Amino acid sequence: MKVLRRFGQLLMVAPPLAIIAVFVGLPIVISVIYTLGHVGGLNSAVSAIALHDVSTRGLLTWAAYSQVFAEHDFIASLIASVVVTIVSTAVVLVVSWAIALYAWRARSRLGRVLSALAIVPMFIPVVIASYAMLQFWTYDGFIKTVANGIGMANFPSFGYSLQLVVIAEIWVSVPFGVLMISAGLTGIPPSAFEAARDAGASVARATWGILVPMNLLPTIIVTCFTGISILGSFTVPYLVGPTSPNLLGPEATETFTNFHESQQAEVMAMVLFGLAIIVAVPYVWATYRTNKTTGGQAT
Amino acid sequence: MSVGVVAPVQSAQETAEQRARPASRRAVRINGARVVSSVAVVLLFVFIFGPLLWLVLWAFAGAWRYPALLPQQWSLSWWLKVFDYPSLLHSVALSFIFAPIVTALSAVICLPAAYAFSRLRIPGRRALMISLFSVNAFPMIGLYITIATLFYALNLMGTFFGVVLIQLLGTIVFMTWIPTAAFSAVPRSFEDAARDVGASRLRTFFSVTLPLAAPGIFVAMVLAFLVSLDTAQGTFLVGIPNYVTMPVQMYSLVSDYPPEAAAVFAVLLAIPSVILMLLVRKHVMGGALAHGFQV
Repeated sequence: MKVLRRFGQLLMVAPPLAIIAVFVGLPIVISVIYTLGHVGGLNSAVSAIALHDVSTRGLLTWAAYSQVFAEHDFIASLIASVVVTIVSTAVVLVVSWAIALYAWRARSRLGRVLSALAIVPMFIPVVIASYAMLQFWTYDGFIKTVANGIGMANFPSFGYSLQLVVIAEIWVSVPFGVLMISAGLTGIPPSAFEAARDAGASVARATWGILVPMNLLPTIIVTCFTGISILGSFTVPYLVGPTSPNLLGPEATETFTNFHESQQAEVMAMVLFGLAIIVAVPYVWATYRTNKTTGGQAT
Repeated sequence: MSVGVVAPVQSAQETAEQRARPASRRAVRINGARVVSSVAVVLLFVFIFGPLLWLVLWAFAGAWRYPALLPQQWSLSWWLKVFDYPSLLHSVALSFIFAPIVTALSAVICLPAAYAFSRLRIPGRRALMISLFSVNAFPMIGLYITIATLFYALNLMGTFFGVVLIQLLGTIVFMTWIPTAAFSAVPRSFEDAARDVGASRLRTFFSVTLPLAAPGIFVAMVLAFLVSLDTAQGTFLVGIPNYVTMPVQMYSLVSDYPPEAAAVFAVLLAIPSVILMLLVRKHVMGGALAHGFQV
């Protein structure tokens, strides 16, 4: 009877876990094997239509990796991905903190309007957001029109540039940052902050010294997940970015669907996973540390 | 309104600041801060809303040439023309065929698990729930490309079921986490009371637990519907050329059609998303999402 109930419970939680195991876990494993030169088994179907596959009869070969890393275009896209991710994430952090902090301190209508405004991009599908950003910042868009109106006829057009990718990634990512950081701030008593202000600390110092450490986990969550989602983005760079060098998202997709170089595209996916692991390190560290300290206090 | 509650806090702050600084400098500081925050609000408004308003203007433009701030001619003609392209209408229909199927399938797969995670003693519960998040912890496009490799092997590329599966993946986390929280929020004493007066387990679930958890489940289903409607890159990779949904159609509209047509289609595509998001706005703003990260 007890065994039967255990089995029933297992049956209830199994379906979503099975979906993740089969359609996230398994593809990653076979793709790692594929990039290392094993083109048989589950990889034989994709390999059959792929061009320029490298294969090995031995244990493994790094040939596909050295091929991809020898490409000048790939290195340029890799650098673009890393730089765009770092710059966008940094701006998202600063803007989200500024908005959340203002709303938390002021408790005024203006504060509520600000944070409500910052959530709006969440309501808009990314495809539409990207297209709207392109029209707004391009050569005949609003920004250029206004700049021209106030006598700056040589103001740059941002259409199809990496700068616009950064701007659009910020637009798309700010709601998540504001939501997370605001939610974290609501748990902090204002007295902690005001006491430091009364003792003569500036807003910046009181924020950095008191609020950020108290709201560290949400801040790190925003940093890591914004970073990972920008690294893995396709729609934004595909629609508003330059042809080349663009981010790895469009580059890998193009390699896969247009050039049919599946193995090389998989190598790029592995590079993205590697970068994501680096980005996720602070998150793992912070959760581990939080668990340790709350466990130690035994409250 | 809430002014009465807020005022004492503000005056307490002011007396503290008064002690610290001379009155005149204080006045300048406060005005300075107000100017800075007002400018910040205006800039944020332009940054966030500007592109959306600009897009709506394009959708109603008959003729619009740089450097005019508004179209020289207004027109509704593109709204009528969009309905003349069968491929556009087809992709709208396709999107609304996929979304309910994906939502229903996701509910069937995830809701029993959500109930089990909330009410039954599952060993390793936390680790299992977090492992579901792995979909979102990988860079999406990398994940889609590795999935495509598997889909080739299973003959799922370019199939209806393949598209359903790729959209389903993005809904699993919402559909498990939010209902788990909803089931956990139902007080156990209510269930015990029903059991005490003789209700069976099944009856208790359907007459007590489920109705009380229904709002949370509804939010999860709306979000799943939206994920399906907005999944562009996954559907693009797996579905083309057979299944071109609304957002995938946007990719080609942007390059192949005049901006007026793309703008009209974009506004049309945004309408269902905005309406559905407004439905669940309170729950998302109220921390449903933020708390999900700290299970």
